[in-house]
Amino acid sequence: MFPLPLETLFLFVVTTPFVGWLLTKKNRQNLCGAYTTFGLIISGIALYNLFSQVLDGNVVSDQQTSFAAGFRIDMLSVFMATIFIGLGLLVAVYSIKYMENDTGTMLYYTLLIAMISGMVGVAFAGDLFTLYVFWELMSISSYVLVAFRKAEWEPIEAGMKYLIMSAAGSATLFLGMSLLYGITGTLNFQSLASALATAGQNPWLSMSFLLILVGFGVKASIVPLHTWLPDAHSAAPTPISAMLSGVVIETGVYALARTFFSAFVSFQVQWSLVLAVLSIVTMTLGNITALLQKDIKRLLAYSSIAQVGYMLVGLAVGTQLGLTGTTLHILNHALMKGTAFLCAGAIIYRTGTRQLEDITGVGRKMPLTAIFFAISLFALTGMPPLNGFVSELTLFTSAVQASMAWLGLAIILNSILSAAYYLQIIRVLVKPAASSEKLEKLKETSFVMLIPICIMAILIILLGVYPDPVLDLARKAAQSLFTIGG
Amino acid sequence: MIPLSYYLVFTFTLFIIGFYCLATKRNMIRLILGIELMVNAANFSFIVFSSYWREGFVDPLAHSFVIVSTALVGSVTAVALTIVVYAYRHYGTLDVRELKRLRG
Amino acid sequence: MTIDRIGAAGLVASLCLIAVLGVFIAQNSFPAFLYAPSDKRLTSVTQPVGEAESNFMWTYRNTDLIAQAFVLFAAAAGCLAILRIEENQKSEAG
Repeated sequence: MFPLPLETLFLFVVTTPFVGWLLTKKNRQNLCGAYTTFGLIISGIALYNLFSQVLDGNVVSDQQTSFAAGFRIDMLSVFMATIFIGLGLLVAVYSIKYMENDTGTMLYYTLLIAMISGMVGVAFAGDLFTLYVFWELMSISSYVLVAFRKAEWEPIEAGMKYLIMSAAGSATLFLGMSLLYGITGTLNFQSLASALATAGQNPWLSMSFLLILVGFGVKASIVPLHTWLPDAHSAAPTPISAMLSGVVIETGVYALARTFFSAFVSFQVQWSLVLAVLSIVTMTLGNITALLQKDIKRLLAYSSIAQVGYMLVGLAVGTQLGLTGTTLHILNHALMKGTAFLCAGAIIYRTGTRQLEDITGVGRKMPLTAIFFAISLFALTGMPPLNGFVSELTLFTSAVQASMAWLGLAIILNSILSAAYYLQIIRVLVKPAASSEKLEKLKETSFVMLIPICIMAILIILLGVYPDPVLDLARKAAQSLFTIGG
Repeated sequence: MIPLSYYLVFTFTLFIIGFYCLATKRNMIRLILGIELMVNAANFSFIVFSSYWREGFVDPLAHSFVIVSTALVGSVTAVALTIVVYAYRHYGTLDVRELKRLRG
Repeated sequence: MTIDRIGAAGLVASLCLIAVLGVFIAQNSFPAFLYAPSDKRLTSVTQPVGEAESNFMWTYRNTDLIAQAFVLFAAAAGCLAILRIEENQKSEAG
């Protein structure tokens, strides 16, 4: 009844606590992570099957009538689901070593797989309400995962702030959905697209647009609604920070894209201006505030806000090239930010501190980690042979082609601005510090934590040097967003 | 039938009361009640629209949305109250304005 | 009695917002179901609505119901994760 990847993920959601309990009896809790990794590999294989079905622009849909709940899987959905399961797999491998000293790890892995299945459900949903139910599944798991290390005050405070803001956003989203239902009588994406194609500008449609923008914007951290993000991303355990920054934010951008391009196409000229202004404010505020941070995870969290601003440029432009740029930037950002957070986590795991001034010179003792960290930071800046450059160039080209050259200029200026704090991290890592006994005892990151970092860094370089296959997939994914009315 | 605009005014008033409760109250449990008020405003609006399609008929689609949404809000409230329990253990107070150690 | 400034400001803002929205709703009539594609599924209120509603939900919206069950599972797992006991937890007084 569910598509096969989602069914295998749900199976593993239900069985992971049981397997974890059995392993706890035998005192080998860390193997629960291996079971989770196995589950994610199996659902990845199931996803590949689905991928070959939708490759030519077909849509796999099992909705019989326009008011039935069901799934509508097209190329964009499969693209997003691949990113979610891929990053989830690497984070699960990383967590085997990182969370070994924590209690309750079997519940951690259960919630991790529940979060991934919620995100895959959001990507596959064919109906706005099904999307909302899976959105809540993802949100509830992420609230608990942020507050997971409850013995300290910081995760609890960050989790409380995150929960309040995100739940308020969900309520606003639900009100916007009710207005949309009142106008059309259905919440199915296909029916909404065909019913509202010629609606023109209606004040109630604008009100519904505003409420849905606020609702999804809280999760996607668009600027006035972003205040939960720095606290939540720095207080969460590092693998969860990588997941939150890498994929949960992008689920918000995906949901915005899906809703706006199916229900609100009729007054696209007006809302693209709103999105353009919001994207510039988001980029600028994210970059400027990141310059003032002294905590490495907070700095990376603010840079995530700026990267979301880049993704919104593609949505604001609204052409196929713009959406290709957004989709490609979603993939690239997941890789780059995932690598950056996992490397930062490796440094935090060894040194026990998050402040930039205390990790001076660590790069000389942990050379591999520092190299991979540097690769991901250069990619985030947008340096040419790496993959950040390809997506930012696509976004810039699409903005110029749609005669919104001021957006392209904003992207370039913000990239230059962001280089200041990314390069600051590299400088801190390699600066020779006064030797202390704490620095003397540092060893290189352990092998299990180094595997995911290495894989993602290799992908960053590969996708930067040879971006054509992925660019083609992103173009097909963007194309599928436009054919929703047909 | 009572005109639709009266019901819409009530929906938005309820939503804004919920938002006011969320933005200004100090007690953390009142914040959670504010979230519930906001979602109940949206539930109410769904039910109103389902009865307004045609006189004497209701639309079961909207009712199914409300039934599922009630369960979802219950889950969110449960998790929120659990986090409030731990916030009370760490800070010693239920005042949300005391949670200001993370700033900047 | 000290007036809570944030509370007072919030009250004033909320009343203004309610007034603005009241004017908005009065001026723009709501296009209820103007663009509705089909209305084949409406149920009359003269027959027992609960039975018909439940049939509708289980026939057409079963995906949502099962996904909601998983949300409940995740919420239960989440509450257990936050309320778990760690070895060095101090005993609380009451």
